[in-house]
Amino acid sequence: MIRLQDVAKVYDGGTVAVRDVDLEISKGEFVFLVGPSGSGKSTLIRLMLRQELPSSGSIWVAGKEITSLPGWKIPLLRRSIGTVFQDFKLLPSKTVHENVAFALEVIGRPKHVIRSQVPQVLKLVGLAAKADRLPNQLSGGEQQRVSIARAFVNRPLILLADEPTGNLDPATSVGIMRLLDRINRTGTTVVMATHDHAIVDAMRRRVVALERGRVIRDQSRGAYQMGDDPVSVAPAADHDLIEG
Amino acid sequence: MRLQYILEQAISNLRRNILVVFAAVVVVVVMLSLVFGTIIIRWSIDRDIIQWDDNVRVIAFLNDDLSIEEINVMQADIQGWDHVDEVIYFTKTQALEEFREIFFDQPSLIDVVEEDPSILPASLRVKPTVAADYSTIRDRLVVMPGVYHVSAAEEAIDSLVARAGTMRGFALWFIIILGTAAVVLIANTIRLAIFARRDEIGIMKLVGAGNWFVRVPFLLEGVIEGMIGAVLAVALVWSFAGPIAELLSMASNAANPPQSFMIRQAVLLLGFGAGTGLLGSAFGMWGFLRD
Repeated sequence: MIRLQDVAKVYDGGTVAVRDVDLEISKGEFVFLVGPSGSGKSTLIRLMLRQELPSSGSIWVAGKEITSLPGWKIPLLRRSIGTVFQDFKLLPSKTVHENVAFALEVIGRPKHVIRSQVPQVLKLVGLAAKADRLPNQLSGGEQQRVSIARAFVNRPLILLADEPTGNLDPATSVGIMRLLDRINRTGTTVVMATHDHAIVDAMRRRVVALERGRVIRDQSRGAYQMGDDPVSVAPAADHDLIEG
Repeated sequence: MRLQYILEQAISNLRRNILVVFAAVVVVVVMLSLVFGTIIIRWSIDRDIIQWDDNVRVIAFLNDDLSIEEINVMQADIQGWDHVDEVIYFTKTQALEEFREIFFDQPSLIDVVEEDPSILPASLRVKPTVAADYSTIRDRLVVMPGVYHVSAAEEAIDSLVARAGTMRGFALWFIIILGTAAVVLIANTIRLAIFARRDEIGIMKLVGAGNWFVRVPFLLEGVIEGMIGAVLAVALVWSFAGPIAELLSMASNAANPPQSFMIRQAVLLLGFGAGTGLLGSAFGMWGFLRD
């Protein structure tokens, strides 16, 4: 589903964000990208979204080599990928329903599709009753659910989540992870960048650990850190929410 | 659905930045008024000097009793003179056409002529090799048999033509400067609109909205600004076209340009306004709405 081959990204000014990355993610997998801030997690996600071009190497997403994709095809690539971010990226003047519908409207989905899909996905994320609220009337967790609904409403093959629980307290994070897990069970490939030890350790999915732009560990059913075995959940106090 | 969305976006962009939009529109109005005004002035000058067009400097009106052969002989004769570049035979029919063109707004005059077209004489129109060098040609024509009257371009006409040229030159520079200002101002409004919507644009790009779907509202916004400017400029100049023409016309028979001419120019102006807007939008979006 996603394949990176010998990928490096050097930003103007010489900062090396990622290097020597070889990674293959199969359809239906759930993969954590872990590592400290600046280790290259977000850059990898941006590369998969074709928001950035790698300095070298090739990237395949959903069967297509995307680094050579012409500009007009990029929107088509992104329609097969749902994205979730730490800061939710909701439009404050639109209701929950409108925020989710927006994703379908701007890619030209007909009205009847929007009318049936949006309530369905809002039900999936547990916000059917709050469809007419504005984002600022919701809690952080609820806002992130809206953003997940928007990412999933077009039934993407892949869901990329960059620190989706970064702004949420541990209890709320658990709910978000349950939701991502449910989405993964529908066959959607989920790639999630995080530095939340507790979540990674609790879920026990494939872990790709990055450090200074390199993959230093790729482990199925892994923990956040090499030594953490088998299930030693870190206390909530360890959550480091300051890291970006 | 999408069309409605695009229109709504464009209009809400315009409303959001009403002050800068206003400034941009004002400059477009001034620029296009100048364009339109220049076109009308040009029309009125052209009409005054229609006979002297194309370097004709001396006109010999011919007696009605001359045969075609005699006229041909005269034409060939004059053609052989020094300083003569070309001699054109202007028939009575052509004279009538020209008369109609000059006095289109005075149907009573045209009626008189059409009742008896013979009162308009045929003529030989002479282009000197050097425009200013026509006095000897005039003097020889005056004494030529078969010629009943000679009319020569006066210095006033020459200087009018020259002044009209200078004026057009100035107007052109003003139009270029104002046009540039208009494009820059429109580009600025587009940039503000993009900035105001940057979150929305970011989300649209993330969920895979087509590039043109993102761009078109902004292009349309510039076009609307240009067209509003053009409509106002047309309205402004249309209401003052008469006085302007009168003010600048040398002839006593000053008149508004005909309706059909004005409509044609107004449509051109609308296109020009739209084009200015499009250019402004394109500059405003430059590098901002990439993937």
